[in-house]
Amino acid sequence: MKRTAPRSTLRKIIKKHKPQLRLAANADLLVHLSFLLFLHRLAEEARTNAFENKSKIIKPEHTISAAKVILKKSRG
Amino acid sequence: MASRGGGTPAASGASGPAELQLPQGPRGLSPPPPPPPRNYADHNAPRRRRNYPPHTAPRPLPALARVSREEAGGGNRWAVTGPAMADRRPRARPGLRRSGHNARAVAQTGSSVENKSKSVRSTLAKQGLGVFPDLRNGTPRLMLKRVMQNQPQVSPLAPQISNHEDTKEAHSEVPSQRVSSMGELQLPDVAPEDTSTTVFNMKKKRRKFSISEFERAAESRLPQYQAQSALDSTVMTRSLRMSVGSLLAPDTVEKRGLLRRPKTRRAVDMQAFEGRVEQNLLKSKGQNDLVDSQSASVIRTSMLTSDAEMMMNSTELFVQPLLDEESQNKLSALEPQLSDSKTSAQRSPISDADQEEARLEGLVSSVSTNQERTQRYSKSTGLDDEHVDRMSHVSPETPAKQGEEKQDHSQQSNPVAKISVTEEEVVCSVYRWNSSLPSKSSSTHLGSPVTLNVSRMHLRQVVSHIIEDLEVSDTEEEMINTENGVEQKKIFQEAAERGASAGHSEHLEKKLAEKAELQITAGHASRGETEVAPSAGKEVEEGSTGAHSSPRAEHEITRGIGAESLGRPSHAFSSFEKPEVTPVDEIDEQGDELQDQAMMLNLDSSVGEPAEDEAEQPESQEVSMKTPTFVRAPPHKLLLSAKPAKASAPSFPQSSPLKLLQPKTVPKRLRTSQKKPREPQVPRSLIKAIFRHFAKMPVTRDAFQIVEKCSERYFKQLSDDLEAYSHHAGRKTVEAADLEVLMRRQGLVTDKMPLRVLIERHLPLEYRRLLIPVAVSGNKVIPSK
Repeated sequence: MKRTAPRSTLRKIIKKHKPQLRLAANADLLVHLSFLLFLHRLAEEARTNAFENKSKIIKPEHTISAAKVILKKSRG
Repeated sequence: MASRGGGTPAASGASGPAELQLPQGPRGLSPPPPPPPRNYADHNAPRRRRNYPPHTAPRPLPALARVSREEAGGGNRWAVTGPAMADRRPRARPGLRRSGHNARAVAQTGSSVENKSKSVRSTLAKQGLGVFPDLRNGTPRLMLKRVMQNQPQVSPLAPQISNHEDTKEAHSEVPSQRVSSMGELQLPDVAPEDTSTTVFNMKKKRRKFSISEFERAAESRLPQYQAQSALDSTVMTRSLRMSVGSLLAPDTVEKRGLLRRPKTRRAVDMQAFEGRVEQNLLKSKGQNDLVDSQSASVIRTSMLTSDAEMMMNSTELFVQPLLDEESQNKLSALEPQLSDSKTSAQRSPISDADQEEARLEGLVSSVSTNQERTQRYSKSTGLDDEHVDRMSHVSPETPAKQGEEKQDHSQQSNPVAKISVTEEEVVCSVYRWNSSLPSKSSSTHLGSPVTLNVSRMHLRQVVSHIIEDLEVSDTEEEMINTENGVEQKKIFQEAAERGASAGHSEHLEKKLAEKAELQITAGHASRGETEVAPSAGKEVEEGSTGAHSSPRAEHEITRGIGAESLGRPSHAFSSFEKPEVTPVDEIDEQGDELQDQAMMLNLDSSVGEPAEDEAEQPESQEVSMKTPTFVRAPPHKLLLSAKPAKASAPSFPQSSPLKLLQPKTVPKRLRTSQKKPREPQVPRSLIKAIFRHFAKMPVTRDAFQIVEKCSERYFKQLSDDLEAYSHHAGRKTVEAADLEVLMRRQGLVTDKMPLRVLIERHLPLEYRRLLIPVAVSGNKVIPSK
C-alpha cells in the first residue's frame, strides 16, 4: 500500500545536497512524483532483466544492471 | 441585527447590504455574487406580510434551526429551503443580505418575497428554522403555539414568551418597527429554546444533588461511628471531602456514570464476593488460622478496598478510617460475613472500596496496635467481615444506594481507621481513602492494586484491578500461597517497622500494601476472591468505561493476581517507586500490615498508574501482579514463607520497576546529550513498497539495498539538475516548471504524455488536488492562485 509522500524528508535531502537551493510550495510533490517514476522504470528494467535470466526473483545483479541504464536515462 | 449574527433576521434594510455580505464571506459561499444593493425597505414591507401567514408546522428547536441556517449561508439557504427557494433566490438575496443571517434572512426573504412563502416557510420550518422570528413567531398564532408547546416544560419562561409574543405581534404588524420586532420575535424563539434547555439543566441538577446527598449522608453517618481517630477522621475527612468535592465538581456527570454502573453490579458482586471471601477464609483457616485469616482478610480487604476505592472515587466520602480496636473487633466479628460481602463487594465498585478501606484500616490498625499477625489478621478479617457485611448489605440494595455503601464503608473504615492508628501517617500521606481501603482488602490482589488505585483512579480502575487480580490470582494462588505466607509475615514485620518509623512515604505504604497483597493473594485461597475481584473489576471497568483507568486497573489487578512470585510484588513496588524499593524490602520484612496496606493502596495506584503509563504492558502487568500480592500479603503469615521470595522479588522488582521509572528520566538525558545527526533519507519501507509494487515480482533483500543506493544517487542527480534549471531561469527557487522540464528531459513527460496525466496516475488525490488546478462551481479554482 502506498503511503504518503515524505515531503519533509525530500526537502531535507535536497537541502543537504544543495543548501542554497529553495523549493517551491508543492514542488516537492513533483519531486516525489519523479522519484516514483524513477523507481517504476527501475523496477521494470530489473524485471526485464530477471525475465531474461529466467529467474522468478529479482536479484541484485539484475538490479545493478538496470540501475546503470536507468540512472543514465534519468539524468536531466 | 445583521451584526447580531443570527439574532435578528433581515432587520434593517440600510445596513443590510454591507453587513449581510460580510457574514457570507467567511462562510465561503462564493457562488452567488453579491447582488447590487437594493431598496430593502420595499422588501421589508412585503416580507412582513408574508410572515403572517400562519405556519402551523411546529418549529424545531430554534438552536438547531439557527445552526442549520447559519451554516447554510447564502448558498445553503436555498439548499435548506429546498427547491421551493430556488425561485426566490433572486428575491431572497437582498433579503439575505439584509439580515445577514442565512437562515433567518432566507426565511424572511423567502416568505416576504413570495406570497407563497407558506411553502417556503414550511420548508424552512421543517428544516428547523424555527428561529425565524417572522415566520414562526411573527404570527401571533405561531407564537402562541410555540408557547403552548414549550410552556409546560418551562414554566418560568412561559410568561416571558407570552410577553414576547405580545410584543412580537405588535411589532410584526408594524413593518417599520421590523427591526425591533425582529429582535423581540426572536426572543420568543429563544425562550422556548431556553425552556427546553432549562429542562435539561434541571435534570442535571438533580443528579448533582444526588451526589451531594451522598456526601451529606456519608458525613452524617461518619460521626455516628466512634472509631474515628482524630487524625484519621480529620485527615481522612478532609481529604475525602476535598477529593470528593474536587471530584464532584468537575466530574459530576462522570461520577454519576461511575456510580450508576457499578451499582447494579455491586449487588451481584457483593454476594459472590462474600461467598468467596468466606471460602478463602475457610481455606486460609484450614491452612493456618492466623495466616489464613489474615490472608482472607487481606483478600477481602483488598477486595473491599478495591470496592471502597471505587466507592471512594465515585462517591466520596465516607471514609474515615476507623481506628483501632473498635474496628478490629468489628472486623473479627464480621469475618464470616465479610467473606461473603467481600466477594460481592468486590464486584460492586463501591462496596469494594469500602471493604478495602476497612481492610486497610483493619490491617493498619492491627499492625499498629498489635504487631502480632494474629491480631492483625483478626482485625483485618473483622474489618473485612464488616466490610463484607456492609457490602453484602449494599449489594442487595439498589445500586442507587451508593450513599449507604459509603456509609458502610465509612463505618467499616472507621474501625479500620482506629486500627490503623499507626498507619495514619501512612494512610494520610497516601490518600486518605486509598490507604484505608486497600490496606487489607487489597491484599488479595484485588484490593491492593485496586485500593491504591482508588485513591488515584476511579472505580473503574479499581474494578479493573480487582478483576485482574482475580484473574491472576486464580492461576497463581497456590504457588503464591506458600510464598505469600512467608512474605506476608515478612511484610508484617516490615510494616511494623515501618509504622514505627512513621513518616512513611506513600510509596512505602504502597509497597507494603502491594507486598501484602501479593502475599495474601498467593498464600490464601484468594482464588475465590480473585475470581470475584476480576469479575468485580471487570464490571467496574465496564461501568467506568474509563479507558485510562481500566487499563491501569487491569494491570494492577493482574499484578495482584499474578503475585505468584514475591518478586513480582517487589517489582511492582520498585517499578513504581524507586525509593520504595528499599523500603519495600524492609517493609516486607517487617510485615507491617498497616504499612503494607497503605503501601498497597499507594502502590496499587502508583503501580497501576506508572506501570501502565511507563512500562509496557508486560512489565506493568508484572508489576501490577506484584503489587497486589504485596498488598495482600502483609497481613498474612505467608510473609514468612514469602521472605525468601520477597528478597528475590525486591531485587527483581527493583530492576524492573526502576527500569520502568527510569525510562522516564533517562531517555531524556540521553536525547539531550546525544544528538543523532541523522542523515535524511527516504524511508526504506517506502522504497520497498514502491519498488515491490512496480516490480510485481519477489525481490531479494540485496536487491533492495541496491535500489536504495540508486535512489540516493538519483536524488543527487536530481538536485543538480534542478539547480541548473532554476539558475538558468534566473531564480533561486525550484518551481514546478523546473520539475516539468526535468521530467521532460528524462523522457517521462512527452507530448503524448502530459505531466498532468502522470500526476493523476501516480499521486493520490490529496496531492493531485494541490498540483492540478481544478475548477469548481462558482467560478472558483482550486487551488486558488
